[in-house]
Amino acid sequence: MANIATLKPGSTCLLMGNEAVARGVLEAGAGVASGYPGSPSSEVIPALAEAASQTDIYVEWSTNEKVAVEVAAGGSFAGIRSFCVMKQNGANVAADFIVNLNMTGIGGGGLVIFISDDPGGGTSNNEQDSRTIAKWIDNPLMEPSSAQEAKEMIKWAYEVSEAVNLLTFVRGVGRISYTRSNVVPGELPRKAQPEAVFPEIWDRNNPRKSRFTSGPFPVFHAPLHEKLEKAREIFETSPFNSYTGPEKPELLIIACGASTSYCIEGVNELNLEDRVSVLKLGTTWPLPEKLVAKHLKTTCKVLFVEEMDPFVERSVMELAAALLPETAHLTFFGARSGHLTPYGELSTDSVIGALADIMGITYQPRDRAYEEMCVEAAALVPGRPINMCPGCPHRATYWAVKNGLSLDGRNGFVCGDVGCYSMGFAGPGFYQARTMHAMGSGTGLASGLGKLGRFGLDQPVLAICGDSTFYHAVMPALANGVYNNSNFTLLIADNSATAMTGFQPHPGTGQTATGEPAKVVELEAVCRAMGATVETCDPFDLPKTIDTLLKMMAEESGVKVVIMRHMCQLVKGKRKIAPSWKMHVDGSKCLADACGCHRLCTRLFGCPGLMVDGETGKAAIDEALCAGCGLCAQICPAHAIIGEEV
Amino acid sequence: MANGINELFDEVINRGLCAGCGACITGCPYIVAHAGRIVALDKCTGSEGDCYKHCPRTFFDFDGVSEAVFGKAYPGGEMGQVLEIFMARATDPEILKRGQDGGTVTSLLALALEEGLIDAAVSTRMDAEKAPHGSVARSRRELLESAGACYEVGFSLEAYRSLPAESTEKLAIVGTGCQVEALGKIKREPPQNSPDPRNIRFTLGLFCGWALAPGTFHPYLKSLCELSQVCKFEIPPRPRYSFEFHFENDREAGSVSLDVIKPHINSGCHYCWDMTAEFSDVSIGSAETFPGWNTVLVRSPRGAELLALATEKGILETRELPEEKLSHLKWAALQKKRAAVEKITEKSGSKNDLLHIGRPPEESADILSRWNIL
Amino acid sequence: MRPGKLEKEPYNVIIAGVGGQGNVLLSGFIGAALVNEGFMVSVADTFGVSQRGGSVASHIKISRKTLYSSVTLKGKADLLIGMEPVETLRSLAEFGNPGIISIVNPRPFYPSGGVAYPDLGEVRRAIERMSSRTSYVNVTEEALKMGNPIYSNIILLGAVIGAGVLPLGEESIFPLLAERFPGEILEINLRAFRKGIELVS
Ligand SMILES: Cc1cc2nc3c(=O)[nH]c(=O)nc-3n(C[C@H](O)[C@H](O)[C@H](O)COP(=O)(O)OP(=O)(O)OC[C@H]3O[C@@H](n4cnc5c(N)ncnc54)[C@H](O)[C@@H]3O)c2cc1C
Ligand code: SF4
Ligand code: SF4
Ligand code: SF4
Ligand code: SF4
Repeated sequence: MANIATLKPGSTCLLMGNEAVARGVLEAGAGVASGYPGSPSSEVIPALAEAASQTDIYVEWSTNEKVAVEVAAGGSFAGIRSFCVMKQNGANVAADFIVNLNMTGIGGGGLVIFISDDPGGGTSNNEQDSRTIAKWIDNPLMEPSSAQEAKEMIKWAYEVSEAVNLLTFVRGVGRISYTRSNVVPGELPRKAQPEAVFPEIWDRNNPRKSRFTSGPFPVFHAPLHEKLEKAREIFETSPFNSYTGPEKPELLIIACGASTSYCIEGVNELNLEDRVSVLKLGTTWPLPEKLVAKHLKTTCKVLFVEEMDPFVERSVMELAAALLPETAHLTFFGARSGHLTPYGELSTDSVIGALADIMGITYQPRDRAYEEMCVEAAALVPGRPINMCPGCPHRATYWAVKNGLSLDGRNGFVCGDVGCYSMGFAGPGFYQARTMHAMGSGTGLASGLGKLGRFGLDQPVLAICGDSTFYHAVMPALANGVYNNSNFTLLIADNSATAMTGFQPHPGTGQTATGEPAKVVELEAVCRAMGATVETCDPFDLPKTIDTLLKMMAEESGVKVVIMRHMCQLVKGKRKIAPSWKMHVDGSKCLADACGCHRLCTRLFGCPGLMVDGETGKAAIDEALCAGCGLCAQICPAHAIIGEEV
Repeated sequence: MANGINELFDEVINRGLCAGCGACITGCPYIVAHAGRIVALDKCTGSEGDCYKHCPRTFFDFDGVSEAVFGKAYPGGEMGQVLEIFMARATDPEILKRGQDGGTVTSLLALALEEGLIDAAVSTRMDAEKAPHGSVARSRRELLESAGACYEVGFSLEAYRSLPAESTEKLAIVGTGCQVEALGKIKREPPQNSPDPRNIRFTLGLFCGWALAPGTFHPYLKSLCELSQVCKFEIPPRPRYSFEFHFENDREAGSVSLDVIKPHINSGCHYCWDMTAEFSDVSIGSAETFPGWNTVLVRSPRGAELLALATEKGILETRELPEEKLSHLKWAALQKKRAAVEKITEKSGSKNDLLHIGRPPEESADILSRWNIL
Repeated sequence: MRPGKLEKEPYNVIIAGVGGQGNVLLSGFIGAALVNEGFMVSVADTFGVSQRGGSVASHIKISRKTLYSSVTLKGKADLLIGMEPVETLRSLAEFGNPGIISIVNPRPFYPSGGVAYPDLGEVRRAIERMSSRTSYVNVTEEALKMGNPIYSNIILLGAVIGAGVLPLGEESIFPLLAERFPGEILEINLRAFRKGIELVS
């Protein structure tokens, strides 16, 4: 990954969308950047952090998205251009602050939030369309269609933000964030940051801007709508809205974001360049109505291509309704007509499907014979369930939890959370995590469930969270449990990094985003101070961990915390910590399918480092994958898996 | 038809038939004993499991097991195959002191170890809190530590599992009827993940009326006394009708009526027909009205050899068992069979279905006729 | 294909593998080299599950004229770099066509969770049947010979460059290797890269 601060202006670089966004932040001259890691947005802050030493910017990982926006808004209030980044779920966490920030408006420095949504849900546990928040709070929203455009749009978003005195959203999607493509960097500003000052009370020149209080809202709500109308005016002539195709198309595609290029490719693939045009909207809220109205008049059919919610589709149809009867001749296609789905990721193929149907074309990319081979091939190919990494400490934790709950025998259950350990709901975590919602929800649910003893709930209640999640959202839930004398056991999987999203430091790691040493907010101390009973285990010590779990579950009241501390295997890899064990399987001892095992190691335990030797049928270590953690030697009933210390 | 862990749970454990012998734990990573219960840690996909196969509460093929143990069909009667009956006690004062009754069991094990007839003895040992665990003794000291009876179900055949499958150690195993039955099944169909049963040189059976369920009994016992101070539990012969616990330092023994104890009987024990551990080489019980003596039933030639050696070496002192004691013993053994059959038919709902002791009508009738209780 | 010359517009490359095999590193090298040679490139990697043993595929769309979207259209791949046999076949089923060229590491990576792996011979025959040309390069084996499986993607990179199926020559890769692997580790990576070239020549 190149350092985005040292890219040569005017050169061509291969940049990931998230890196291009970061470069845009630098080019815009922002002085404060904050965020909370979450794919598909996680790479923006590290790119900025790496650039921080060469540029005049303060970069931090915040404990959660709400705090992140607050930190950035602080910058804006003090006159510094500020930036904040998060994934779609983060927008919900931040919403509580944002729905007040719209009333107060921002300060002297522009404030831009980049939210990366995840159509297709590749790295998320929900598939929400966070554009809605812009509409909800009446703030401007833009959507880039490429990495280059994302960079330019971030810059322009600051101008809009400052012009209308509102927070401005740039909404990406995983496909933009993670695609690497040609990007031409621009110049970095030469000016130093303005001096930061929180405005004085009763600043005569700017009375409105001397305080940022959302009430009394009657004072602010009407001006908010004026600001929004001003944004609409600006958007009417935005450089990010463009039109390609014939003047009077048979079909007008209105597209935004990543879908734009699918449309252009689809039109080309079907040779429809003379019949179909594409109106690309970079500014999607408020809708540039005049621009859209102009194009609606040139056609009879409109196809909306956008990912997830029919957001633009609804705005345009609303507009069309308002313009009746001028628009009475229009037929609309899109999510509503079923030509495209309001869920999942779109692709050129899905656009081709819609176009072919609307335009009455048949499209066949391959001949029949080849297609048949493909069907056969697909039948041969097995699924490849995702797994925790070889050597992952969560596997050890869930193994201990599974055995502990079975031994306890009272049908205990684990309320899950969001992180690598979410995989606990599936095979890799032995199906132990039984709920998954938002960050911290597992502990909140446990806090409630732990109070249901009076109604007969006699199952042990457990919750699990990661270390980063703990600081993000678990602390209030834990305090709630202690305060209300609930009865549950919280497992904190402390793997020393936010592993799911790429090992960003957090308050427990003793390091800031930019690599400076930081105070460690110690898990044990925090939990004890909150009033929980705390034990720490190394989950690789399975007997002790299981014993501790049994002991904690047996306690009849109170909130118990077990900190499962073992470094993430990938962090070990990054820090070049050598494997501890060299593993092999003694084939003569391995029971394989026989009674007394039935492939406990490959079928159930499931570390990717273990495999079945195709020739002998015995278990074997896959040298290419085994991380040498030694855990499997503990579970083999035949003592056939042997580790030699290295 | 599958006969694996699921069937074991359906037919035995969840039906309250489990005797707590521990055979199913032998060599299985999915089944463990914990806090007095058998627990399945995971789904095993095997359809033909040793767990099911060796459990004394699944089918029990009397002739097949007898063939494997004694080389002949099951003779029936009140006490099965018997060659000699007499009373015995240890001559070694230390063993006499630590032993439950006459210390015969511990003496025989010590002799076998000393003479190199065995390398290790698998038996049951109480921990400091007097909970039973399977144990493997390889020295006189370890043997003495496992002397004395624990009246709780111990799952102690588990100790046989802790020995590596490739172990060639010669073994003696001590167990109650259910455990000896399981060993008989193991001898008939060797396990896949435990030592070769041919290494088991001696099986010493303990007489057993019932054992207690640790899940409820142990907490109760704990409430009665400081367990770490207890040195011996005892159920003295009638008319005392009590359960007693003795302390190290000459403190007065504690005692509770058997009426209080009986609700804690392990439910699986009610389905047990085997008071005298009929498939052992030697069965040993208390001699009741002769305190400090054991009743000994020698069942196999190798058992007879061991006893002969013991008397020859002067390790055991023996005397005849009075005739009226023998008939009482037979009566008690038959009583247990009758009670078990009654409970079993109650459970199965049919006189023709005797669950583990005989399923099709002919088989059930056959076993009952051999016991003379048709 | 000669360095700098693109035979088709756009030219679609897919790198198929299993999370953890390092296909992102491979797609990164190829993408960067192409940009340096003046091509318009979009590289899309499967994200999220990449480190966790799931199927992953990187798509590289190469053009002289415009920046395309990153994902290959169904049935439109031109070159398939298979880091694993089943994954190669998975991509062929979706993106293959009679003209596709496949360069494949024949070493299987077994799925976890007790999922059965199909007969390897059958997988290989299917790959060959569905490709206009198939070359096998034993990169995992060679990497293990060099002492560490992590070299396998650099060996594979060498093989792809050596096979002449991209508009790139080895000179366009050397500076990138030097940049990525500073100091001592450059030597072994250069060896791995040359090994790959050797395997296909
Ligand atoms: C649960 C139970 C019920 C019994 N019921 C009767 C009865 O009704 N009538 C009768 O005459 N005798 C009964 N006995 C047998 C009796 O208590 C003595 O164990 C027997 O007489 C041997 O005496 P000993 O002096 O030779 O014992 P020791 O030399 O002290 O040896 C006793 C042996 O028994 C083993 N042992 C202890 N507890 C257990 C256990 N829970 N499971 C398996 N092995 C164990 C020890 O490890 C030791 O090897 C019972 C024993 C048990 C364990
Ligand atoms: S290595 Fe051990 S756990 Fe794995 S199949 Fe063999 S015996 Fe079973
Ligand atoms: S030692 Fe065993 S559990 Fe650990 S990574 Fe290797 S195969 Fe997996
Ligand atoms: S009786 Fe023995 S073998 Fe059967 S289930 Fe109970 S402990 Fe297991
Ligand atoms: S009564 Fe029967 S089942 Fe119960 S412990 Fe004694 S021999 Fe075993």
